[in-house]
Amino acid sequence: MSFLRNRKKTLTLLAFVFPALLFYSVFVLAPSIGGGWYSLTDWNGLNPTYKMVGFGNYIEALTDDRFFLDSIWFTLKYVVFMVILSNFFAILLAVLIESRKRSKVWFRTIFFMPNMISLIIGGFMWMFIFTKVLPYIAEHTAFKFLDQSWIGDPKLSFFAIIILSLWSGVGYLMVIYIAALQGVPQQLKEAASIDGANAFQTFRNVTLPMIYPALTIGLFVTLNNSFKVFEAVFALTGGGPGRATQVIALNIFEEAFSMSNRYGYASAKAMILFMIVFIITIVQLWIMKRREVEV
Amino acid sequence: MHLSANAKGDRLSRRVGSALIFLFLILGAVVMLFPIYMGLLNSVKTQSEMLTNILSLPTKFQFKNYASAFEKIHFFRSLWNTIQIAGVGLIGIIVCASLAGYKLSRTKGGLSSALFGLFILSMLIPFHSIMITLVKISNKLSIQGSIYGLGMIYIGLGVSMAIFLYHGFVKSIPRDLDEAAIIDGCGEFKLFYAVIFPLLMPVTATIAILNLLWMWNDFLLPLLILTNSDGYTLLLSTNMLFGQYSNDWSNILSALILAMLPVVIFYLILQKYILNGIAEGAIKG
Repeated sequence: MSFLRNRKKTLTLLAFVFPALLFYSVFVLAPSIGGGWYSLTDWNGLNPTYKMVGFGNYIEALTDDRFFLDSIWFTLKYVVFMVILSNFFAILLAVLIESRKRSKVWFRTIFFMPNMISLIIGGFMWMFIFTKVLPYIAEHTAFKFLDQSWIGDPKLSFFAIIILSLWSGVGYLMVIYIAALQGVPQQLKEAASIDGANAFQTFRNVTLPMIYPALTIGLFVTLNNSFKVFEAVFALTGGGPGRATQVIALNIFEEAFSMSNRYGYASAKAMILFMIVFIITIVQLWIMKRREVEV
Repeated sequence: MHLSANAKGDRLSRRVGSALIFLFLILGAVVMLFPIYMGLLNSVKTQSEMLTNILSLPTKFQFKNYASAFEKIHFFRSLWNTIQIAGVGLIGIIVCASLAGYKLSRTKGGLSSALFGLFILSMLIPFHSIMITLVKISNKLSIQGSIYGLGMIYIGLGVSMAIFLYHGFVKSIPRDLDEAAIIDGCGEFKLFYAVIFPLLMPVTATIAILNLLWMWNDFLLPLLILTNSDGYTLLLSTNMLFGQYSNDWSNILSALILAMLPVVIFYLILQKYILNGIAEGAIKG
């Protein structure tokens, strides 16, 4: 009897989960497992046959492939800048906007707006700014330093990508931090100011600990997204000049779809990206959760 | 006497502080809007006027830039393609994920938690790690080049997060409700669509907003799947145009403005819901 009831329960469960599981298995699970498998082969994506090469692809990618190693290094640099700058500006904006009474809706709307626009479109608009508008301003005003080859110089194109990414991404984080700030009880801040704390001390000792969970999310989002950066680079510099701004995702994309036909090798690089993102997010969440408990 | 002077000084310094904050925010807002403003301004100039007068208002509005960009990116066709892709994806994600999220949340036991874990685990897999094999699979299934096929892929990629959000939300719906409906003679599916699904409305709205924005602005997956230019989304058509006319900025800028128009209008009308949806999704997801 109970066996029959259980069987019915199991079947109902499967009936409800089946549609989701079907799409998920075909388009997420199968490619993940397949990618893992192909990463161990020398498959070129076309031939019906291929050889197992074990971890050969991984070893080659991590020791021999200068372009791939450069792209990892470049991505790491990008991640560090983005994690610090975007969270700093997002918290700053959230705190300042929340302190306004009537204008806060306006500011929130404007600062979030770029996040709605695709990075591809935003990237082309900033390319216009960098290649046409800034040189024009430099020529016609005193701001001569603006006349630089923002896209053509490897050092500057890094900052061009950072500026585009901040422009696009800071609004999203700001919305998260605003939501967190709205959850901080007003009485706590008032109590602190009665006790003689200035605005900065109140923020440091009252507000910041209260929005710590949001900081966990903010860091998680920026770490995760920054390691996967693709569109910002694709639209603005295309990875150039040369390969100076090639990020990991772009390197994989080119390896798989335009440069060579080394599917197996590109799959190994894709697995390396997965492992980097996986390990770093797990470590970050673990550290942050531990600190949250202490606070 | 001393106290009131102090209070006055306090008020003054607060005023100055407030003015400084306002100034800073205005400056930031100008930076945020600058590229859009520059694009808008120069999209109605001729190429030569643009290069001599990039900052000033146009002397004569060139709306024919828009007419030609409109044609070159096949605006209506691209828009309709984008709507169809996002529509298939959105309906599929909501139907599949609400069913699964509800039942997984209600059922206790090993199988249920294992399935839930399987869905959640994949939220850590970057798209770039599966894209190569995904393209191969869609090629095998002959859905490469099909906009409905792309919609279906979005269902697969989108259900995890939606199941997670539904799963959490269902916990707040009392079980008594299920039991009462069963006693009244409801079958499992009728209970779901007549009683439970209407109650999921708030989280469905959040999921709809998040997924719509994702699919609308997604670039890489359509680039890999849509091999035929008849099926191009707004973004792909715009990107194509950029490749072909990379120095004809007056044409490109009007295309960029056209391509961002739908989403900006959508945002300005629904901004309260969108901002809430983003915050909800981020905090719970």
